[in-house]
Amino acid sequence: MQLFLPILMFVAASTVLAGGLLFLGGLIGPSRAGKVKEMPYESGMDPIHDTRRRFDVRFHLVAIAFLIFDVELLFLYPWAVASRNPQGIDAAVSAGLIGSRGLVFAEVIVFIALLALGFVYALRKGVFQWR
Amino acid sequence: MTSSETIYLLLPEASLILFATLIFVAGAFYPARTGWNLLAAFGLLVAGGVLCIQINSNPVYSAVFRGQAPLAIVSGPVVVDLFSLASRALVIGVGMLFVMITSRTAAETQEPELMGSLLLIISGLNVVAMANDLVVVFLGLELVSIPTYVLLFVGSGHVERYAAQRQEAATKYFFLSVLSSAVLLYGFSFLYGVSGSTRLTDVFAVISQPSDERGTQLFSRLAMVFIFAGLGFRLTAVPFHFYAPDVYQGTSNPNAGLLAVIPKIAAVVALVRIVVVAMPGLEQVGWQLTLAMAFVTMTLGNLVALWQANIRRLLAYSSIAHAGYMLIGLSVGFAVAGDELASASADGMGATIFYLIVYSLATAGTFAAITYLGGAGRQIDTVEDLAGLSQTHPQAAFAIAVFMFSLTGLPPLAGFWGKFGLLTGALGVDAKSGGLTDGLWPWFLMLSVVTVVNAAISAAYYLRVISVMYFRPALSTPLAQGGVGAALAMFLCAALVVAVGVYPGPMQEASRAMSRSARQTIDERDWAENSPQDFLATRHRSAED
Repeated sequence: MQLFLPILMFVAASTVLAGGLLFLGGLIGPSRAGKVKEMPYESGMDPIHDTRRRFDVRFHLVAIAFLIFDVELLFLYPWAVASRNPQGIDAAVSAGLIGSRGLVFAEVIVFIALLALGFVYALRKGVFQWR
Repeated sequence: MTSSETIYLLLPEASLILFATLIFVAGAFYPARTGWNLLAAFGLLVAGGVLCIQINSNPVYSAVFRGQAPLAIVSGPVVVDLFSLASRALVIGVGMLFVMITSRTAAETQEPELMGSLLLIISGLNVVAMANDLVVVFLGLELVSIPTYVLLFVGSGHVERYAAQRQEAATKYFFLSVLSSAVLLYGFSFLYGVSGSTRLTDVFAVISQPSDERGTQLFSRLAMVFIFAGLGFRLTAVPFHFYAPDVYQGTSNPNAGLLAVIPKIAAVVALVRIVVVAMPGLEQVGWQLTLAMAFVTMTLGNLVALWQANIRRLLAYSSIAHAGYMLIGLSVGFAVAGDELASASADGMGATIFYLIVYSLATAGTFAAITYLGGAGRQIDTVEDLAGLSQTHPQAAFAIAVFMFSLTGLPPLAGFWGKFGLLTGALGVDAKSGGLTDGLWPWFLMLSVVTVVNAAISAAYYLRVISVMYFRPALSTPLAQGGVGAALAMFLCAALVVAVGVYPGPMQEASRAMSRSARQTIDERDWAENSPQDFLATRHRSAED
């Protein structure tokens, strides 16, 4: 229980701070509402229609195809950092945690090859054609 | 152990995934071609062959398989012991059955996707069987679930009149399965919070220490309840059963068979590995929880099954009832856990594993039979569709009769020995009266009585199927275009059900050895690396720092 006391205090403090600031802002801030002021993005694009409308299910396929590249990045970035860092792969190899640098490299190559296969599958299935 | 050795241990699963990928990608290049089922069957043969070669040629593997000196090979997140070796062999066999069952019907839909998903599901089950880590257990369970969604949806096929209800079934299963995964993961998070590690052996080491921290007790109980809920969905134990009848009814016959068998195997394997074995000190809560669930599950399943006209709905409630029977063995396993003498006399877990095998054979066989009797555009939907089958298709009628008698639990067949094992287990609690199980016998006596009454109730609807097949005139002749594979699977299952019924010894011995091995693996303290003591030592050291 003692271990979690700081977290509890942190949660309490952040709640009080956030709630208090909102309350104070509403209390003493000037409030001049207008058409421009109440737009979702005050300084961004002008909204052209309601946000709750149907959109094409084909975008869903795009989102899933994006996942291939996203996951690729997610794993390649740490590997790239660890392979250059003296405390990364080299340290793990000398500590005996992993076999060798070559093994890690082979694993990454296998990983990329699997993702490439997924890409080829999606390509052949016509995911990238707007049908 | 290094990571290359872990890869060596996972070779059969790797080859399964390799073949699945091959089927997916090649299927995208040659969409018009059929015959991917042969490639899938070849992939399963390769995986089984790799496993056999590993067992025969590797001396450590052979020793593990025979229950000699090293009881388990532990390499980081995976463990190879008799339990996992035997489960993997069985699962590959079950996978072969399903490749055979779907061989013809798959060709009507997107065959490569169907076969690839099937191989992924089998490899996921294998991963669950050999997991020594909560994360790997979850990974394996998801590797079972996610291809199942694809399978259910792809199986919706091009038959107009079934498309809508099959998609409905796929959606229902998807949402409930996702929910159950979330609940399971929530339970795992408590376990991790208590022990500070995701390794099952470490979890065991921490929980088995007598501790006066109230948090450990409380949170490990919470974890158990959540894990039970999450796996209860897959086991279709009441109150997590409600999706099963709808989904089975909506989907195709081979898919329903898959749902009735594969998730149950996953749930039982994971429950034996995680809850009964790796969470000591919870026997009290454990046997009470499973006993209550067993009562409700089998009674509800059997009673509601009496009114069903749709054959898949009937079999769904029957599978719920059988989940209840399997929980009996787990309850006994909890009650005698941590008591060597009692667990020798009343091996509940072993009985559950045996029952699981027997149930899987009979259920897969039944679905193989009704898949075989169906045909393009018209499948077997109601019990009435089987009317007069003894005249039109006497062999299929006989096979279905064998499965129904086995599911009822009649003596010359395998199902009898399944129930026999569960009941002797339940009545054996307290027989040798170790201190732990004192005074539990009235509960287990009551459970046994309820089980027997339930078996009698279940006879009513199983025998109704048989009477429809044998004593009703045929309304129409079933097409029987389900393919040679489905027919072969049906005969194979029938032969195995009869063989195990006549000569149950080896299979019973194997299930007992599996449950023994699962208990010993977690208790084994002499591993070279990652032993629980080392882990505890480092944990205390870091606490002092």
